[in-house]
Order: sequence, then structure tokens, then C-alpha cells
Amino acid sequence: MVNVTYRRVTKRYENGFTAVDGLNLEIEDGEFLVLLGPSGCGKSTTLRMLAGLEEVTEGDVMIGNARVNDLPPGARGIGMVFQSYALYPHMTIADNLSFGLRMLKGDDRPEDDEIQWRVGETADLLGITAELEKKPKQLSGGQRQRVALGRALIKKPKVLLMDEPLSNLDAELRQQMRVEIRRLHDELGMTTVYVTHDQIEAMTLADRIAVLNEGVLQQHGPPMDVYRNPVNPFIEGFLCAHLNDIVETANELFGGEEE
Amino acid sequence: MSSMDNMPRASKSDLARRWYVPQEIESIRSYYPLVLIVALLSVGLSLMRANEDAIYSSTSILLVHVVVLVLLRQLDHGSKNIRDGALAISGIGLFLSILHHLDGPSLWIDIWFTAWAAVPFVLVLAAGSMPMVTLWVSGRLTVKAAELGLRKNKMMAMKHSHALHHLILFHAVAAVALPLLWILDVALSPGNALGGGFMDEITGEHFEKLISSESFWLWTRNSFIVSIGTTLLGLALAIPAGYAFSRFRFRGRDSAMFAFLLVQMFPGVIILVPYFLVMKALGLLNTSLGLILAYSVTALPLCVWMLKGFFDTVPRELEEAALVDGCSQTQVFWRIVLPLSLPAVAVTALFSFLAAWNEFLLALTFNTSEEMYTLPVGLASLISSTGQAWGDFAAASLLVSLPVVVLFIAFQRFLIEGLSAGGVKG
Repeated sequence: MVNVTYRRVTKRYENGFTAVDGLNLEIEDGEFLVLLGPSGCGKSTTLRMLAGLEEVTEGDVMIGNARVNDLPPGARGIGMVFQSYALYPHMTIADNLSFGLRMLKGDDRPEDDEIQWRVGETADLLGITAELEKKPKQLSGGQRQRVALGRALIKKPKVLLMDEPLSNLDAELRQQMRVEIRRLHDELGMTTVYVTHDQIEAMTLADRIAVLNEGVLQQHGPPMDVYRNPVNPFIEGFLCAHLNDIVETANELFGGEEE
Repeated sequence: MSSMDNMPRASKSDLARRWYVPQEIESIRSYYPLVLIVALLSVGLSLMRANEDAIYSSTSILLVHVVVLVLLRQLDHGSKNIRDGALAISGIGLFLSILHHLDGPSLWIDIWFTAWAAVPFVLVLAAGSMPMVTLWVSGRLTVKAAELGLRKNKMMAMKHSHALHHLILFHAVAAVALPLLWILDVALSPGNALGGGFMDEITGEHFEKLISSESFWLWTRNSFIVSIGTTLLGLALAIPAGYAFSRFRFRGRDSAMFAFLLVQMFPGVIILVPYFLVMKALGLLNTSLGLILAYSVTALPLCVWMLKGFFDTVPRELEEAALVDGCSQTQVFWRIVLPLSLPAVAVTALFSFLAAWNEFLLALTFNTSEEMYTLPVGLASLISSTGQAWGDFAAASLLVSLPVVVLFIAFQRFLIEGLSAGGVKG
């Protein structure tokens, strides 16, 4: 497995807007890192530069020891889960899952039997075996989410990227998928980068969180460390105060019963 | 009155009676504007024909309609005299309509106008003398009856609005079907004359003549070559152009798209002469290729805009997912975007094919030798100063429409199917 390094990475758009400003960040092999921040803070852009969907303006993005700035997305050994799932509507679930394998070239492309076996294995892992012959529009939101995960996992990527994958699910499913995602990570052990604006999601999922604001990395570290030792007022407001609010509300609601 | 002050302002009975208007009356009131418009058209037609008698009678019918409408609007709980007046005047109107019809010529259009003049009067007479209406206008409506009437009104309103929709649809169908029936009649009648009774003699001689004639098949072949060529070339140009306009931001993009629209705004005749000179210079007169080039270029702006609009609806995340799955930009287009855009491509293809299949002016100008005629030009040549083969012409028109009908049936599935729905959330 591999680690991921951002070295002085900057993303500037043609209109002069700087989305990410001089980011230095190292993600260790097998680590679950959550990029956390409010809307427009540059967390998605950071992820998309790692995926190869955005050009890097300055600096280096490294996967393992290789600089990947100029590699096309397909060559980076990554899997990605999109917010909208982005399943191919004209293909069955099985074809959606196997598409990435079928697009491999030359010796890398597995035999058809092997592809079929891997589809079955991935479907088992995610509990969608019964849906393989269906089209995406016949599936519920939670099932689509699982297919999107499966499509990202089937190539056994070295790095798994997730861009707000749970924000289209209802509260109960979100809770369920959160547990599942963490379980998959612990089972498969790949390096994972996860983008969210939800503090609870970040606190419960991450080995380490990295909080961004206006394109600048504010603080990173294990969730509870960041919560206990905020380095600036932004972290205090965005993370600590928000979490304290939730705790306070919960206490107000249930405090009496516990006494 | 002061003793009433403590009472509720409207008892239940008053409410029901105050709100009850028989649906018969409501329906006629809302249907009457249509009647007035047709009556006005009738006056206009008489004026244009300068038929004095008809001008007088149609104008007086219009006036009577107006009076009846005014009276209908005055109708209310307890206005029996107004109702009786409306009935009497409708009777007069009916009488006038019959006189008007006896006056004028009895073409189809006149019979139609008479029907539109007379039927509303009949409806007013019928509705006005309904028992419920009589009770209502004479002020003898009981509370029970008013409540029952309110309940019945909903059912009746539905029936009446259905009837009105069918009336309007009937006119639309007639406008489309009558010319077709007429052509069918001419095509199946012996001889080459127009007129005569509808379907009084039936023969297949025109169809037999066409099918056994060499030039008809030659023209058909030319038309198919030109139309299919136009479709293929048009798609080959429009699909990449539409995709580029939809996905890439480049210098001159906006002005190029506007220029495409601008070209569409000129009437076709203006470019006829320049096109002719170009074709002559290229040596493409009297060839299929010349027409294919001209047609696909003319249809291009609309095709590009149509496809661009559809490509815009294919979510960008789908393309990004395919990139992560290892596709190149070209593979993304062929494997993801194009399959999803098949409905739009089909519609565009249909449009190009039809435009080429039906085009007349350019084909007439460029291809002057008879063996290079397309079907529309060939058809027109049947009606010349030397002989008017209307029967052959009508039969050929029907045959020429067949491929179009077949295409529409075949493509119907694509026209309504939204393949893209459901891939991205919800």
C-alpha cells in the first residue's frame, strides 16, 4: 500500500480565484483521513487534484513515491465515490461494477472469468448480489451508494477517494453506511481520503482530520486532539463550539432521565 | 331588521342557494366566447366575399349571440323574466341562422358556420328549460335541491369540459385529416381530374402506373441516397460540434454559436443563388453529392444546437467517473456520453432525414436533368403546363409519405424515452 503527499500544492483558477493555497499534507499508508471544512473551503478541490480531475497549478501531488501531477485519472491507481454516485444509467449494475476492469489495457486486463468472479466478490462484500442485473434507476438511494462504493473498490485501488458520499442519504441510512464504510476500510486497509462538511461524520470516521478554511489548512491531527486543542478561533467555532452545541442539546433533552 | 342582527348572517340554506348556479348555465357561459369568435369570423368571411345578404344575416346573428350572452350573465336566483327573454331571443337566433343558411352558397365552410351559429341557440334553449334551471330562476329552489344541485354540478362540469375538449380536438383532427382524405380520394379516382363525389369510383390505376414506371423508382432512389447521405454527414458534423460546444470553453465559442443562429435567420431563397454558383464552380450540379452537402450544411445549426442542449444534460460527474475508471477523453465520449444521448441523436437524425426528403427548392435548382430528380421535384413535374396528372400526383404523394410515417413509428420509442434519468441521484 502507499502514502499520499501534498507538497506546497496550490490551485488557482483562470479568473484568479485561489481555491487551495500552499497545502502541505502527508497521508500515511492505510490511514483514514477526513478533509473537513465549510462549503467552498477547497476540500473538494484538494481531493479532485489527487484524483486527477483538476490540474495542479503549483506544487506536487505524490502517490507512493511517484509524482502524479500529469498522470491521467485512470493511471493513478485510485477509486472514487462521487456525491451523486454517478452510476452509468445505461449499464446494468454488473456492468457498472466491471467497467473499470474492462477498461484496463493489455496484460492488466483480467480474463472474463476473473472479471465475473471479482464482480461477484464485490457484490457479496456490499450485499448487492440480488441487484446485479438491474439498472441504476431501479435501485434505492442506499443501494446506489453501495454500487458506487463497489465500483470504486473492485479494482483494489491503493487509494480510495470519497467526495461527500453520504450527503444524499437520509439520517438512518447515513448512520448505517458510516459504520459500513469504516468497516470496509478496516477490512481492506487501503489509504482513504474522505471529504465532508459534517463534523460528526468526520469525528466518528477519521483516524485523522484535516480542517480547511478558505483554501488554507488550519489544523490536522487525530479528531479528539484537534477538538481538545484547537489552534485558532476558526477551529473553535467550526468544530469545538458546534460539537459542544450538540452535546448540550442532547443533555437538555435527556439529562433529566439519566439523573 | 334590528331583531335580525343577532342571527347568523347567512343560514345554511341561504349559503347553498346563494352559491348554487346550475352547471348547464355555467358551462354555456364559459363556452360562449368561442361562439362569438366563430360568429365574428363568419361576418369577416361574408365581408370578404362581398355577399350583401350574408353580411346582414351574419351580423345580426352575431348581435343576437351577444344579447343572449349578456342575458345569460344576468341570470341569477329568482330572475325568471330574464330567462324567458333569453329563451325567446335564442329562438329568434335559431330562426335567423336557418335563414342565413338558405341565403348563402352551401360549401362545407358555410355548413360549418351555420352549425356554429345554430347549435349554441339550441343549447341555450335546452339548458334554459331544464327543470332545475326553471326552479332556480323562479326562486322556488329548496335547500335540499340546491345541495343536490351543487353535488351534481361537479360530475356535470367534468362531462361538459370533456365535451368541449372533444369539440376542439375534433376540429384539429379535421384540419389534419380532410386534406389527407381528399388526396386519398383523388389518388383512388379514375382519370386525372379533380372534383367529383367522394369515393364514388375506386381504382388502383394510378398506383399501378407509378409502380411500373421507371422514373418513379429512379426518383425514389435519388431521394434515399440524398436523405441518408445528408443524415450521415449531418450527424458526423453535428455530434462532435455539439459536444465541443457543450463541454469545452474556448476562444470564439459564444460568437460561433451565435453565428450559427444568425445563419438560420435568413430566408432560404437568399442563399439559393450563391449556393448555385458554388455548386457550379465545384462541378456538383446534377449530382447527389451537391444536394447532400447543401442540405447537411443548412440543417447543421439546428442539429448542433439540439445536440448541445442534450449533451448539457449529461452530468459531468458521469464523465469524471469514467475517467477514474480508466477511460480516455475519447472513450468517455463513445462509451458513456453517446450511448446516453441516443434519443437526441435519433431525433436529430430524423430531423435531417425529413428536411432532405421534403426539400424542393434547392433540388429543383441544382438538379435539372430528369434522372437526377428527387421525389418532390419529380412529383412537381407531373403537374406541368403540358399535362396535369392529378391522380398520379396524389398517388405519388401518398407513397412518398410512407417512409416518413414508418420512420416516425420506428423512432417513437426514442422520442419519448429519457435514458439519462436515474443514473445520478433520484
